[in-house]
Amino acid sequence: MKPPFATAYANTPETIAASRRGLVGVVLCCLVPLLAGCGQTPAATFRPNMVESAKQRLTSEQETQVATILEAMFGTPDDPIALPETGLDIGKLRMAAGPVHSDIVGRKNGLFREHCSHCHGITGDGMGPTAAFLNPYPRDYRPGWFKFKSTERAEKPTHEDLVTILNNGIYGTSMPSFALLGEAKVDALAEYVKYLSMRGEAELSLMRYYFELDDEDEGRLPEDREFLVEEILLPAAERWQEAEDAVIEVAEMPEVDLSESIAMGKELFYGNKANCVKCHGVTALGDGQANDYDDWNKVVKQWSDELQSAHQISTLEMTSEERAEHQAWLAKADKILEGDALEPRTIKPRNLRKAIYRGGRRPLDLYYRIHAGINGAPMPSAAGTLTPDEIWHIVNYIRGLPYEFDGELGADRSMVARDRL
Amino acid sequence: MHNRRVGLFWSLLFLAVPVLGVAVFAVAPSIDVWLPKDVSAHGKDIDSLFYFILALTGIVFLGTELLLFWLIWKNDVAARGEEKATYIHGNHTLEVIWTIIPAVLMLFLAIYQMNAWADVKMRRPVMKPTVEVVARQFEWRLRYPGHDGELGTPDDLFLVNDLHVPVDEDVLVQLKSMDVLHSFFLPNLRIKQDAVPGMKIPVWFKATETGQYDLVCAELCGWGHYKMKGRITIESREDFDAWLEQKYQEQEATQPELQDPMF
Repeated sequence: MKPPFATAYANTPETIAASRRGLVGVVLCCLVPLLAGCGQTPAATFRPNMVESAKQRLTSEQETQVATILEAMFGTPDDPIALPETGLDIGKLRMAAGPVHSDIVGRKNGLFREHCSHCHGITGDGMGPTAAFLNPYPRDYRPGWFKFKSTERAEKPTHEDLVTILNNGIYGTSMPSFALLGEAKVDALAEYVKYLSMRGEAELSLMRYYFELDDEDEGRLPEDREFLVEEILLPAAERWQEAEDAVIEVAEMPEVDLSESIAMGKELFYGNKANCVKCHGVTALGDGQANDYDDWNKVVKQWSDELQSAHQISTLEMTSEERAEHQAWLAKADKILEGDALEPRTIKPRNLRKAIYRGGRRPLDLYYRIHAGINGAPMPSAAGTLTPDEIWHIVNYIRGLPYEFDGELGADRSMVARDRL
Repeated sequence: MHNRRVGLFWSLLFLAVPVLGVAVFAVAPSIDVWLPKDVSAHGKDIDSLFYFILALTGIVFLGTELLLFWLIWKNDVAARGEEKATYIHGNHTLEVIWTIIPAVLMLFLAIYQMNAWADVKMRRPVMKPTVEVVARQFEWRLRYPGHDGELGTPDDLFLVNDLHVPVDEDVLVQLKSMDVLHSFFLPNLRIKQDAVPGMKIPVWFKATETGQYDLVCAELCGWGHYKMKGRITIESREDFDAWLEQKYQEQEATQPELQDPMF
């Protein structure tokens, strides 16, 4: 009778070799994941605004000049520069910029890359790796337009406005809340958004300036500090600094009965003067006009349309040299449209019955939205057409819409919005 | 000699598994990687179940690992390669034993834990939701019922990521998801519940201590999963009511906040 547990196998030379191989395998399995993390990644770079470059038909020398000037003025993603004229705080920028790391005192840096860049892109062009999944697309800071703010329509947002958006997120879009990062980090990120926006605007001005050059400039921009600061940097930087002065003055809410105010708001909503119904729809479900684009998408849409007609141009009367040049430009421009822009998408008017308000739900926020409209979006400013009282009436009406029952309004009727979220 | 060294290596490697395994568990509580502090009424049951199962599986783990070590030692190192391997067809009696014992243990556990499970997942307190939590990529949207105690009315209070609940009271959370599977995880309250799109799932607990703790997503929900970090603040009924009122007043603002004259 054999014992229940007999020797499994003898130690022949083959089995010894096999167990050796097993040993090597175990060691390798432990090492490979470690090695994979050791590769050097190239330093991050800002991505040039290729759509604008192609529009302005810049040569590659000119593109290089723009990049060189921008690097001298703004530095790199790892090492930002803030010229005094920008009014930006370099300490905050350093906290937000660079790769994710902790500094000597253990403070976390590289906040933008940790939290923002996968959507907004390292350049702030709204084209990070996850941008294409989202609707609406993440904000492209480069044109310097911002939607949800307390200032007049065409003005920059205040620092506080950016902080508010970072804290609250934008419900209804993919922008989440970052409030729990804490005040200092949110503050640093807001500063960095301004930095990226100023850089983007400077890039646009530089690219557009080639058009204004004289023949004797030979297609090169001047590179003296005075020109760069006065013509390129300040126009955008000053408007950021003046944003505080452009905050909308909010009139007191008129002292009328709420139901009366709501009734007047309803009349305005459907009437010709405010005409909210045109886009937000008869039912206020956002099913009105739906074929418009916001300004960011419009840039790409118009460019794509222009390119389409450029493809139709007859090359018959061109010299062979001209034709080659034209076709080379077309090929480059097509490639840019594919690789450096997101497919343009129409904008949806807001569904006002969901109790979701992107720029904030306070009556104050809705007042700002109606007064100034939404910069960059088809929502127009009512500042010239409606009185402050009328704006308040619409605010009151809108706030009741998610709870309206049977077409009849009443803040006292409760049942409807419960399951709409 | 050569054979002996290889056998020695493998047997010690097998021995290292139970030794290190026990060492990790022994050290873990002192370096704060053990169970987070429990501040819930039902947590004791969950934790004692956890410890009970840990002890049970620990004994089986140690037994199995030591047996593995001993077998290699006995048949490889101690035998010095002198004996040839033999083919065995298994042992019926042993197999019956190691099937029946775990089966009985499993059955026992299944019955023993029923009450704890029912407390957490079935015996819902009869009340209206304290708060609605809507998970979405990548944050926790919160909705409090406001003064009338009803969700879905104009005085609802909307917030994000910053969950507050009163201490020593039943709290009923109405859990939803807007997009994909998330999991509502309050480690200190021993609560973990998947949020499923299209479903309205009740989750309840009673907190026993004030303080601030983590609210995290415990289901890989997409590329920004790591962003879904919220916070739960457990506070007295008075503080909770005052906080609700303050947030409600902020939500109803018709004028910008007055800036502190210091700035």
